[in-house]
Amino acid sequence: MRQTRILIVDDERIMRTSLAGWLERDGHDVETVESGEAALERFKKTRYDIMLVDIKMEGISGLDVLRTVHDSDPDVAVIMITAYGSISTAIEAMKNGATDYLLKPFDPSELGMLIEKILDQQDQKRENLFLREDYRERSRFESMIGQSACMQSVFNLISDIAPSDATILITGETGTGKGLAAKAIHTKSPRCEGPFVVVNCGAIPEHLMESELFGYQKGAFTDAKATKKGRLEIAHGGTLFLDEIGEIGMRMQIDLLRVLEDRVFYRVGGTQPIEVDFRIIAATNRDLSEAVAAKHFREDLFYRLNVIHLEMPPLRQRKEDIPLLASHFMRRFSGEANRPTGRISRKALDELMFHDWPGNVRELENAIERAVVIGKEPTLQPADLPFFRPLSEIGLQEMSLEAVQRAHIAKVLEAGDWNIARCARILGVDRSTLYAKIKRYGLSRPKA
Amino acid sequence: MSAAEKKIIISDAAGLDAGTLRGVIRAVELTFDYPTETTALLHDFSFAYDINRGQYHSTLVLEKLTALAPRRALKVLAFTDVDLFIPILTHVFGEAQLGGVSCIVSTHRLDVDLSAADGRRLFQTRVAKEAVHELGHTFSLRHCRDKSCIMHYCHSVLDVDAKSNRLCRYCRVLLADEKNA
Repeated sequence: MRQTRILIVDDERIMRTSLAGWLERDGHDVETVESGEAALERFKKTRYDIMLVDIKMEGISGLDVLRTVHDSDPDVAVIMITAYGSISTAIEAMKNGATDYLLKPFDPSELGMLIEKILDQQDQKRENLFLREDYRERSRFESMIGQSACMQSVFNLISDIAPSDATILITGETGTGKGLAAKAIHTKSPRCEGPFVVVNCGAIPEHLMESELFGYQKGAFTDAKATKKGRLEIAHGGTLFLDEIGEIGMRMQIDLLRVLEDRVFYRVGGTQPIEVDFRIIAATNRDLSEAVAAKHFREDLFYRLNVIHLEMPPLRQRKEDIPLLASHFMRRFSGEANRPTGRISRKALDELMFHDWPGNVRELENAIERAVVIGKEPTLQPADLPFFRPLSEIGLQEMSLEAVQRAHIAKVLEAGDWNIARCARILGVDRSTLYAKIKRYGLSRPKA
Repeated sequence: MSAAEKKIIISDAAGLDAGTLRGVIRAVELTFDYPTETTALLHDFSFAYDINRGQYHSTLVLEKLTALAPRRALKVLAFTDVDLFIPILTHVFGEAQLGGVSCIVSTHRLDVDLSAADGRRLFQTRVAKEAVHELGHTFSLRHCRDKSCIMHYCHSVLDVDAKSNRLCRYCRVLLADEKNA
């Protein structure tokens, strides 16, 4: 079971602890906070599946928490908790997007059934997303791009490890290209003629996971009208890529470990052992050693997966690759939209270099796709970018240290007419450092 | 004293009949593979009584049981016939310290929907199932989605009757992990 993340927001300690204890025994990953302020602070950093929020609290009320959460992520289920006598507020909460409300104290079966219903609905959504992503994965494959030193190291490591059969764990933030790295390893391996089978562990709902991985025998359950091969069987002779392995539930971890150890499994409802031969590549954006320490991930499975470790760098650490990536996406999306390939204006490129890219290459890809679709001019302009705000609107307090540094260096270079020796003196660095920073930030002298 | 030398202490304040107690001991020893010892640790629950609710706060009882647990106790399983609650819920059939020492089962709500014919046997089975379930929590097992597993959370006593008296294969592995940790 994929562990559900639940946040309890209640100013009464005893309510928080008793509810948290009950939900933990129910198998959920539970956090508690004592105020609306603390809840919104946590919500900024962590994605919860369910939030249980007391309506009446000092300061930011439960209704305020609901509104903020619902505006920002309507997929988070918010259950309001209320005392008898404030049902009208609870009804108002329902109008504002609350999933349901519970009257304190509530019947344990009422809570249990409500959580079950919400998880089933979220599974259903995930299932639809999984089907859509599966289609997208098949219809759009893109090879890896990067000239930066850190990407060159990644390419070298891929070349070194691809020929072996060792299991690989790829880590890195969302959107850094972990899937592309896995595909590149497969392509360069002796198994390249075999299938490359992707299992998105985070997207497949729990109830589908077992039959998706192991397949099923005709008659194993009501809908099993014919025998179906699972992904493990399909991956025979090739590579099995377990994406978002950190999301996999404890039960499936036990089954996977057994398959990794024995290379044998049974279809659901089957009695014949099926032997398989594939290479495993797993990927995650989570810190698995932390998950092991928290007992959310099996230590034995972690060591079996982490034979070779490949870390994908975030885009902000390889900004020099942005112009290359942006041009590549411009070409691709212009082609898809049947438009002549446009250019990227210098100012737009400055904006691309200026941005921190928390969503990494995928965010850049989406930004360029959007710009190509909505852009009115043949050359991409800053205003076409989703995150663009004129500099006059941005205060220093909103800029990262790196962004401030880049802006300052650009200003000094412009004022100093790109005389490197003079500008380096003004900035108090040597020339080689300034050259390195110019390269890192993708700065270039405007053409006369 | 190593874990292997320790025992699961069963403390009965519910006045279970000999047959029910025997069923509990058999189920506990079979599931957890530790010896059991029946010792009266706690009889008076008045300290946990909540006058407003007319029920007993089970979390306080668990704290007391853990404090009273002798050195030889690996886990403590207590029985009571009073109605238990935790503040956020109307009632609980039992409560356990997840990965901790103590757990308690209340028989207060386990004797409903019993037919005259096999009522006694059904009640004994329910008590044994709830005992293994709550003890499972003290071995860090959480609720299981497999409806036949004894760690499945039951909305009613009828669900308790429907589930088996065994751990599913996943929960067995998780229990073994916990015992070997």
